[in-house]
Amino acid sequence: MLTLEEKNRVALLQGTLDLLILRILIFGPQHGQGIARAIQLNSGEVLLVDHGALYPALQRLETKGWIGAEWGVSANNRKARFYELTPKGRKHLTEETGRWRTLATAMARILDLEKLQTGEN
Amino acid sequence: MFPRRRPQSDFSAELQAHLDLEQDRLLAEGMPLEEARRQARKNLGNLLGAKERFYESSRWMWLEQIWQDTRLTFRHLRTAPAFAVTAILTLGLGIGATTSIFTLVHAVMLKSLPVSNPDQLYRLGNETHCCVWGGYGQGREFSIVSWELYQHLRRNAAGFEELAAFQAGDRFLGVQRAGSANPAESYQGEFVSGNYFATFGVGAYAGRILTADDDSPAATPVAVMSYSAWQRKFGLDPDVVGGAFQINGKPFTVAGIAPPGFFGDKLSSAPPDFFLPLSTEPYVQGDSSMLDQPNRHWLALIGRVRPGFNVLAMETQMRVALQHWLQSHLADMSPNEKTRLAQQTLYLRPGGAGITGMREQYEQRLQILMMVAGFVLLIVCANVANLLLVRGMERRQQTSLSMALGARPARLIRQGLTESIVLSLLGGAAGVGIAFAGTRLLLSLAMAAADRMPIEASPSLPVLLFAFGVSLATGIVFGIAPAWMAMRADPIEALRGANRTTRRAGSLPRMTLAILQAALSLVLLSAAGLLTQALHKLERQDFGFEQADRYVINIDPLLAGYKPAELEPLYRRIRESLGGIPGVASVALTLYSPMGGDSWNELIFVDGRSAPTPADNNISWVNRVSPEYFATIGTPIVKGRGITEADRRGSRHVAVVNEAFARQFFKDEDPIGRHFGSGDPRISGEFEIVGVARDSRYLTYGLSEPVGPFYFLPEGQVTEHLLPANRTGEIRSQYLHDIVVRVHPGGRLTEEQARRALAAVDSRLPMMLMRTMTDQVSSVFGQQRLMARLTSLFGMLALVLAAIGIYGVTAYSVGSRTNEIGLRMALGADRGNVLALILRGAMTLIAIGLAAGIPLSLGAGQLIRTQLYGVNERNPAVILLAVAALGLAGLLAALIPALRASRISPLEALRAE
Repeated sequence: MLTLEEKNRVALLQGTLDLLILRILIFGPQHGQGIARAIQLNSGEVLLVDHGALYPALQRLETKGWIGAEWGVSANNRKARFYELTPKGRKHLTEETGRWRTLATAMARILDLEKLQTGEN
Repeated sequence: MFPRRRPQSDFSAELQAHLDLEQDRLLAEGMPLEEARRQARKNLGNLLGAKERFYESSRWMWLEQIWQDTRLTFRHLRTAPAFAVTAILTLGLGIGATTSIFTLVHAVMLKSLPVSNPDQLYRLGNETHCCVWGGYGQGREFSIVSWELYQHLRRNAAGFEELAAFQAGDRFLGVQRAGSANPAESYQGEFVSGNYFATFGVGAYAGRILTADDDSPAATPVAVMSYSAWQRKFGLDPDVVGGAFQINGKPFTVAGIAPPGFFGDKLSSAPPDFFLPLSTEPYVQGDSSMLDQPNRHWLALIGRVRPGFNVLAMETQMRVALQHWLQSHLADMSPNEKTRLAQQTLYLRPGGAGITGMREQYEQRLQILMMVAGFVLLIVCANVANLLLVRGMERRQQTSLSMALGARPARLIRQGLTESIVLSLLGGAAGVGIAFAGTRLLLSLAMAAADRMPIEASPSLPVLLFAFGVSLATGIVFGIAPAWMAMRADPIEALRGANRTTRRAGSLPRMTLAILQAALSLVLLSAAGLLTQALHKLERQDFGFEQADRYVINIDPLLAGYKPAELEPLYRRIRESLGGIPGVASVALTLYSPMGGDSWNELIFVDGRSAPTPADNNISWVNRVSPEYFATIGTPIVKGRGITEADRRGSRHVAVVNEAFARQFFKDEDPIGRHFGSGDPRISGEFEIVGVARDSRYLTYGLSEPVGPFYFLPEGQVTEHLLPANRTGEIRSQYLHDIVVRVHPGGRLTEEQARRALAAVDSRLPMMLMRTMTDQVSSVFGQQRLMARLTSLFGMLALVLAAIGIYGVTAYSVGSRTNEIGLRMALGADRGNVLALILRGAMTLIAIGLAAGIPLSLGAGQLIRTQLYGVNERNPAVILLAVAALGLAGLLAALIPALRASRISPLEALRAE
């Protein structure tokens, strides 16, 4: 049984996870768990990151050269692999963010239009 | 650029770190330790899934996956042993048959002599002439030469580093080790020029090889022994090197041993045991020597061309030299030879493969066998493809489920492909095993004296690569289709329930394959039928002599050192001694017994006729026989008389001719009492015809043509020829090779009896071979028998495979139509209807296959026409028989599943839904 809270959470759309990871890394190097946590917190606990999907995504981004990785020590003194945005990744983020904004605006317009029509009836 | 591959351990460590961090967080939120650990794990999701997806993104994954797929394949195959064994054996048979045939083809047709730089070797002649050619003309080209012509060509062809000459025909030698008590034994010998070994670039294995110094009349007579003879007959005895031997009664020293792989200048079933210098030929052959006869051509030539010389230019140069030489003999030429002088030419051809008479002989047959093996391989591939398709069908449900659960199509295709490639490679391995065993068998069937053949019977590296390539191609080609079908499997359909589909996907390719098999099998069966019929026709023809109760013994009085004058008493004593054996009815000697493999022909000049023009065909074969010959061999005299005791030295010179001779030279006139001569128009009154014998077959070639003209002369009568060359031939013709013994019906003659009777005449006289007349005749058809047997064998194999194919298609269709059949029966169809329904489907396939196969069979018949010896290649009886065999086999194969279908219980079939 899903709790109400879980029901309100949204599974990530395909392709959005990459963008979110890059966005989180703007604030500085972070390890996988931290990235997942940050996405969840920053989305107001709405976006739920499947941890199992997170690491292949990180691997993919690393292969594309958008992020780099290095072993380091976490705040609570645990050994962890820290990811960092590369200049190439930053450029990609900028482009992608623009595209997403455009898409989101367009979608919002259509959705609002429908709301408007429903209201008229 | 690829990033360096990240080790999996690193990734595992990262995931572990994640778990620890998540656990820390949950603990910090106040969760109990156990709960926190569980929750952390849950949040991470499927850890294994994450690992796997990480793994797949790495670029080495495919290698690991191949290994995984292979292991999976083996696991699958173990669960379906019947499928695996059938597929591997079927493939093994097909690949084994192809590999065996290809090994033979490679050995006989493609391989070079085992000498250094065979590509620099060039031989004289387009055609292969054998063994002695007389006169100053040689048909279309000079392919063998006299010793004098050899010397002339050698002086006038500067481009050759070495130009070697060697005997074109085989020669038996009587060899006895000096001081040995055993009688002389017969060996194969070959006269070769002093630079023979130097030309081939072959050194001695032990002692020394022949040199130019050995090839001179003044030199001490030496010989080189083959390694094979040294091993076989002398147990590698080191004392043989430098040892004294008697060759044809003349002392010789064995100078050395040729290397083990060297089998002379041609691939032959009887490679030379002794190589003797050309200069010793008069010494060994005595009065019948040919060395100093300018117009006796008996030497083949091979030369090593100097690097940088143009072979075409050398050919032209040698043609000019040939014309010069012929001009210098203008005075000795007959008018015919003078007219043809300008046409005489010669050719230089690549000689790395040696003198390739054997290749020419076997090439066409090997090509046919290759085609037959290729057909079998095609049928095998069709069968295996069918098996794989069925397997693909059976696994559709599983595949659909896998896809529903998220397996990627590409991965599933690869899995299917891996399975078929693994299968075909296993089949290839089985095939190589079969090939190793089969090639030796094939070789012994293919060629007499195969144990002495210098042919490598084990598949060589290129052959193995060929087999590997064939099996790999089979696997890929016939693995893609089932894999493709597996990928198209619709998950919805699979989840709807097994066998409830109305579509029978994949039945079209399967039916096509079954039709293809039927068509190809028909081609093979009808080819086998035609070849078998041709063999029967050959074996059961009227030979014009009797085979039953007759034995042939080969001797050579020349080996025992007999002089021409001593021959008549020798023959009389042989006839008396053998005739004294109980059970022997009569004994006669002849120069050539029928179907013995050798022959002699002469130009005929009929007395009282104008000299024949070059366009006239006045050639006849000649044989020399002892009294009682015709009665002993069983050839009836149709007119006049045979050769009798009265026809001896000093009496009137007579001849018996055959019917073909009488027809050709006398047409409707009575030949008895007429005169003719041979070789020289000046002696056209030499022989008086005293009898006409029935046509009988002597030659082992031209078997589909009618018997040509023959005449028989009595032994002991010597023609006084005016030309010296003809005189030598006359002497040679007095040395009779074959004894024909007729026993009383049901009687026997053992080899021991014969040997003892001959030893009583002269212990020096070696008995070279004894066999029944039937064996001698059937040995001539060994090749034809091999072709007929192998094609029949492959035809049967194809028939069985086609039947399996039909069975498979029908059984599968019955299986997938169980519900439909149950429904039909519930609605009132009886068992007979069901049987008819299923059989109709199967017979339609066979009928289409046959319809496609008949034109193909006619085409195949056209291709093998030269092997059919006059049997009509569009033989309706043969094709009908093949059609009937295939139809019957197909019917039987379809009957089993059809009967099973007719026994389906409608209730159960419907309940099974």
